[in-house]
Amino acid sequence: MLGKKTIKGRIGFAIAILLLVSFSLLPFAQILSTSLKHQYDWGNPSLIPQSINLDAYKELLGLTEAEKVEIPAAIQKILNNPKLSADKKQAIAAKYTANDNLFPFGKYMLNSVIFSVGAASFSLVFSVMGAYSISRLRFKGQVVIQRSILFVYMVGGVLLMVPLYQMAMNVGLASSLWGSAFCLFLIYIVQTLPVGMYMLGNYFRGIPFALEEAAMMDGCSRKEAIIKVVLPLSLPMLATVFIYCFIIGWNEYLFASVFLKQYPEFHTLPLALQELFVSKNAIWDRIMAASMLTLAPIVICFLFASRFMKGGKTDGGVKG
Amino acid sequence: MAAIKLKNIIKSFGDTAVVKGIDLNIEDGEFVVLVGPSGCGKSTTLRMIAGLEQATSGDIIIGDRVVNDVEPQHRNIAMVFQNYALYPHKSVKENIIFALRRLKVDNEEIERRLTEVSEMLQLEALLDRKPADLSGGQRQRVAMGRAIIREADLFLFDEPLSNLDSKLRSHMRTEIGKIHNKFGRTSVYVTHDQVEAMTLADKVVVLHDGYIAQAGTPMEVYLNPANVFVAQFIGSPSMNIIEGTLFNDYLQVDNYRLPRKQLSNVALQTVIDQQGIPVKVGIRPDFFNDSRLFPETDNTFKFTRLQIDLIEPMGFDKEILFNLAEGAVKARLDLRSELQRDQQIDLVVELSRVLLFDNETDQRL
Repeated sequence: MLGKKTIKGRIGFAIAILLLVSFSLLPFAQILSTSLKHQYDWGNPSLIPQSINLDAYKELLGLTEAEKVEIPAAIQKILNNPKLSADKKQAIAAKYTANDNLFPFGKYMLNSVIFSVGAASFSLVFSVMGAYSISRLRFKGQVVIQRSILFVYMVGGVLLMVPLYQMAMNVGLASSLWGSAFCLFLIYIVQTLPVGMYMLGNYFRGIPFALEEAAMMDGCSRKEAIIKVVLPLSLPMLATVFIYCFIIGWNEYLFASVFLKQYPEFHTLPLALQELFVSKNAIWDRIMAASMLTLAPIVICFLFASRFMKGGKTDGGVKG
Repeated sequence: MAAIKLKNIIKSFGDTAVVKGIDLNIEDGEFVVLVGPSGCGKSTTLRMIAGLEQATSGDIIIGDRVVNDVEPQHRNIAMVFQNYALYPHKSVKENIIFALRRLKVDNEEIERRLTEVSEMLQLEALLDRKPADLSGGQRQRVAMGRAIIREADLFLFDEPLSNLDSKLRSHMRTEIGKIHNKFGRTSVYVTHDQVEAMTLADKVVVLHDGYIAQAGTPMEVYLNPANVFVAQFIGSPSMNIIEGTLFNDYLQVDNYRLPRKQLSNVALQTVIDQQGIPVKVGIRPDFFNDSRLFPETDNTFKFTRLQIDLIEPMGFDKEILFNLAEGAVKARLDLRSELQRDQQIDLVVELSRVLLFDNETDQRL
């Protein structure tokens, strides 16, 4: 029995793995497939498109030429009225020439990147500081703080949403664009910080303190010891925490939908996708292409980070 | 170069006092070994000198500077850790020159010192490797190199050899001795191994339960231990402690009467009443001699007809066990004495080597 592999067992195992992998990958295949299909192909259950259609991607990424929109004759007449001020003329013309039926994917993506990368970066910096202090320093209330870190997760986001928004209103932040963005930013940091601290704290505990002491004997201050010894050794976990925070921010819909509702120019991708689903532009290939493009950064991020996630970095430093 | 003074150093962790008051002077260039069983406070004392622990009270003076509140990085001390504490993400070379890089020593000087140190410690071939790819002995040498290259005022060693096998340990012990002779830096070395203490030290400081039990040259603590603890801790096999009774003219051990006059420095009242005073008698196993090979004189005493219970041959030496005053006693004889188990033997001891300790305080009389 011990470690003995029969052919039956191997095949069974392979099938089980295959089923599991297909189960998790099929939705993604569906997204990719639909995003590449022409309209006449949508009803086709096959995952392979009859012919590849990249129009949706081109459109989303702004690679298509802007359509020339003709201003209707009646409107043109109004515009020709010399009594109308130049400003008003422009405003009216804009309504008819603007291509706002297009999905400004680039802008949403930039918003998402700013929110999620920004929040993840801040969260990472604070996680490092917090995790180091709870794992290395001795101070009053350390144990209580350490244990209550994950408390944030006991209360669901939906419950906190209304009070948080009310608080933001009360201090006057929710009424301005930057205030709302700031609130959202803060919420993302607060949401990701506990897990970041928890993961990093455990990792720091695994790094022998003697290494920092050695650095201090070598002339480093405690801060330098952390920067030159602890952080380089923690790269795998730092990458993991960053990606975790990034993904939380990237996919977050609930708080964004509340705080950014009135500021369409700051909409993030999940918000924009949701709007795309219910808009007059809800065309299958475009929705799927947008989903695909939303997914892409996370996948790339993972592939990039896996290079850092080689374990065993602290091997060989200390003995015994 | 620096002398160190410890003035009434006390260290407590919460309610537990680990170091209970240590006064120690270490001369410039001296090699001092702090030795003692685990939990005696020797590592804590070293870490306080390093600045990695803060003393609860007392003063630590390095050179002419009180360093109580000076951070470790400003003390100019190099330290070799028990577990090596090499930076796993840096190569051997980067590990060794880390401190110099930080001090912005110029590249030529770094290269010069690196070459010197790596030649001395035979690290040339290993410079580009990572610590994980090194054996225990090699890591130990890298840790030594990292300390030496600094040219610091003071070297601290925290049980540096305890993770090595016995052969490598004795080799590295010799190397440490050589390095000290070459640089002559003040060094403080912590170990629980009394052999390291005896072989390396200019001064041995035996710690017991947070206090200094005795400080002196290796031979002083070996020949004239201040108390039973030091007597038994230093020397291998450890000193035999036998129950005895001291009378006016003689020392009674089992059925033997050792003349009191020739016993060394017995600072007891001269007149002792009839019952005598119970004492602990200490005789090192090495000071027993086979009567067939050792001439008797006025200053020797012969224990006759001792029944051998066990013989442990060790090559050149053999250790024999016998009973004396209802306790097992060890003697170390060399290979000239041919013996059988259950045989009887006469052993000669120089009386000046027989030490007396107070029965209650365990202090030397």
